[in-house]
Amino acid sequence: MCVSRVSIGRRRLIPHWPVRTESLFRRVRVPFTKRPLLRFEGRYNPKTLKRELILRDKKPLFWTLGLFVLLVLPVAIGQERVFSIFGIICFYAAVNVFWTLIIGTAGLQSFASMATVGVGAYGATYLSISRHIHWPLMLVIGTFFGALLGFIISIPARRLDGMYYALLTLGLSEFIRSYITQDKALGGQFNGALFGADRIVSEDATHTLAGQSLNYFAAFAVLLGSLAVFRVVTGGRIGILLRTAQSSREDESFAQAIGVDFQRIRMFVFLIASAALGFVGAFYSAYTGGTSLNLFSLDQLLLLLAMIVIGGLGKAEGAVIGTVIVVFITQWFTAWGPWRIVFVGVMMLASVLYTRNGLFGLRQQVIEIRERRKALARSSRTTRYGAFLPEEGPEIRDKANISEREFERHIRDELREWISPEIIEEHRLAPTGQHSDHLERILNYFRKQPISNKYVVYCEESFKSYRVVALSGQPGVPPRLVDDKIYTSLDEAYHAVFLRRINDLKSQH
Amino acid sequence: MIELLFSALVLASMYGLVAIGISLTWSSIGMLNLAQGFVFTAGGYGAYEFVQWMGKHQHIHTGNVLMVGVVLVGMLTAALAGLFVGLLAFLPLHDRVNFPVRGLIATLAISVIGTQLFIILFGPQNKPLPQLFGIKRFHIGTHGIAYGQLGTIVVAALVMGIVTFWMRTSRRGLQMRAMMMNPIGANMVGVSVRTTGMVTLAISGALSGLASVMLAQTFFVSPRSGVSPLTVGLIISLAGGLGSLPGTVAASVLLGLAEAATARYTKQSLVPFVQFGLVIAILAFRPRGLGGVLEDVRE
Repeated sequence: MCVSRVSIGRRRLIPHWPVRTESLFRRVRVPFTKRPLLRFEGRYNPKTLKRELILRDKKPLFWTLGLFVLLVLPVAIGQERVFSIFGIICFYAAVNVFWTLIIGTAGLQSFASMATVGVGAYGATYLSISRHIHWPLMLVIGTFFGALLGFIISIPARRLDGMYYALLTLGLSEFIRSYITQDKALGGQFNGALFGADRIVSEDATHTLAGQSLNYFAAFAVLLGSLAVFRVVTGGRIGILLRTAQSSREDESFAQAIGVDFQRIRMFVFLIASAALGFVGAFYSAYTGGTSLNLFSLDQLLLLLAMIVIGGLGKAEGAVIGTVIVVFITQWFTAWGPWRIVFVGVMMLASVLYTRNGLFGLRQQVIEIRERRKALARSSRTTRYGAFLPEEGPEIRDKANISEREFERHIRDELREWISPEIIEEHRLAPTGQHSDHLERILNYFRKQPISNKYVVYCEESFKSYRVVALSGQPGVPPRLVDDKIYTSLDEAYHAVFLRRINDLKSQH
Repeated sequence: MIELLFSALVLASMYGLVAIGISLTWSSIGMLNLAQGFVFTAGGYGAYEFVQWMGKHQHIHTGNVLMVGVVLVGMLTAALAGLFVGLLAFLPLHDRVNFPVRGLIATLAISVIGTQLFIILFGPQNKPLPQLFGIKRFHIGTHGIAYGQLGTIVVAALVMGIVTFWMRTSRRGLQMRAMMMNPIGANMVGVSVRTTGMVTLAISGALSGLASVMLAQTFFVSPRSGVSPLTVGLIISLAGGLGSLPGTVAASVLLGLAEAATARYTKQSLVPFVQFGLVIAILAFRPRGLGGVLEDVRE
């Protein structure tokens, strides 16, 4: 007889370390904050009762590792093409992080992110060419242009919601593009290509390893900066306030009711993100020495959307990983031609059809699917056994009860198989005295049962009339009559009790 | 002045055809069909392939057959493309959580894939379509109007009229209108969401196919020719009030007029700003657009 081990919860999956109580535990904190670097939690192991540390949040480790790889890999490889691909990854990842800030945190479905980047890039490049300003000033100007455009397009955002705003911003970005193709000062005659801006690393230096590395580090710094802004905005008070108003109309009304002016905060976040996008745009033109209409094309916007959709909408890690995947496919496999974009499109379609929130929503989805499967299995188990349902597990304080009930169930299963006409016949012939092994075990099981609702023989008149009654199990409450049959001998009555118990055993699963 | 009016009306009929399709789709099935540009281009390429085929089979070639055939084939291909979009994006997603956003992303993905497939199949070059209405001009007073312009306006107005009439009188139209008013209620009284949705997508596809064939008279068919009509169509359906046919027509006439007038009296490069400013102005006063039928229905 094998009893399967019932494991409850996921506690055994949490990483934990033993603690030596004699040495003090020093907590390292992020400078100037009360936030610890890693979220450790001390506790007693419920089983061994020893002190241990558990790591509640593994994300910082993955972030550090991933960003380290992103920083070191191109320098280690040292090829010009790899540098350019990773530079593009950093640039688009920064854009996507800010876009995620707008869509996910602020909850504004704006498609004007590339338009903002483009306006910042074109403004900075134009002024750099015409006024000969240097790149630090270009970045400031780009930020200003981004904030300006952000302010303009945030005006209709107050009155339009959801899809309407998406449409409007999509149209806006296309309109700005078509304006640039027609404006001569912005490179309209070269199909929107505007080059000759001041560069962070001079043109000649970009062919040396040191220059390329420096250029790449600058791009990486922008990505880091974008992540820092994302962290500060979503992790701080603003993030909490915005989360109150997220996801639905009801939430917005609720937020308003408790005094959160979510519209104002939304606009604030939108302005920050727009200014930052303008900065990224200006950085792009200082990084490549100019800008082109590629930034604005609908295809580019869709690729960007593909990145955040594949990675997972509303999460910084989703934005970065999605960017890495999509940029790698589109830039590395250039030999595939248009097929690589088709591939990205298919990935995007698949992730929207089959996943709830891209790559980083997948884990939650898998957990939910597994929970659903478990629940199904559980409900089918109820009909078979019924002795102990695993969902009762957390409610039963003394876990020994669980194994006791499991044990009882197995005994019942075993005894049930032994019940046969021969056994019953044997008992009928001799209710008392020595019995066969199986019958004896069955009777022992019956004797051991709790007193409430236990069938017993009630003697109305000795040697003449006996009846079967059931004990109440409570002091002062008389037993109840089970039926009105009267047995003339004690053995008959014993057997009647036996039959009733057998019957109950059969029906009890 | 008359020339201006005619060019405005030509633009308005193009925009109107695309915008009505988008507007119908959004209001009756709640999906923002951003693959409408793909459908548009598919219609153009269908018509182009038909013209190539007719060129090989000269013996059945007569002018009128070609003209009617090109229009019909264009509409049919686009309708099929619309059904394809529905099959890929609408049917699997329409009963899932967060359908509006996911539908939008799915249709965008289809449009990404579609554009690249057109590049692979037909190459990035522009493909011309024949002039359906001839290249002659007629004169009103001293102004010369091309037959093409007049033909475009007439055909577009005719088709829009037919669609409006059909929506008013047919049983399927009734179902579509019921879906617009209250999708859940319509479903409860036995209107099939799936069938109605597919029909809506096919019709809006056919409309943009017609627009595609008409627009290819002046411009060409190219893999990305759907982008600009899509964005303008989106903006117009927004300004017209999603779901309102009269509102959409009014908005398209207004924007067509604005575009024609801006291009004539100022610089062509200012057109986007004027159009956009107009739309912002409309939305500032009527956030649900000119028609404004969908106050609290879709949410």
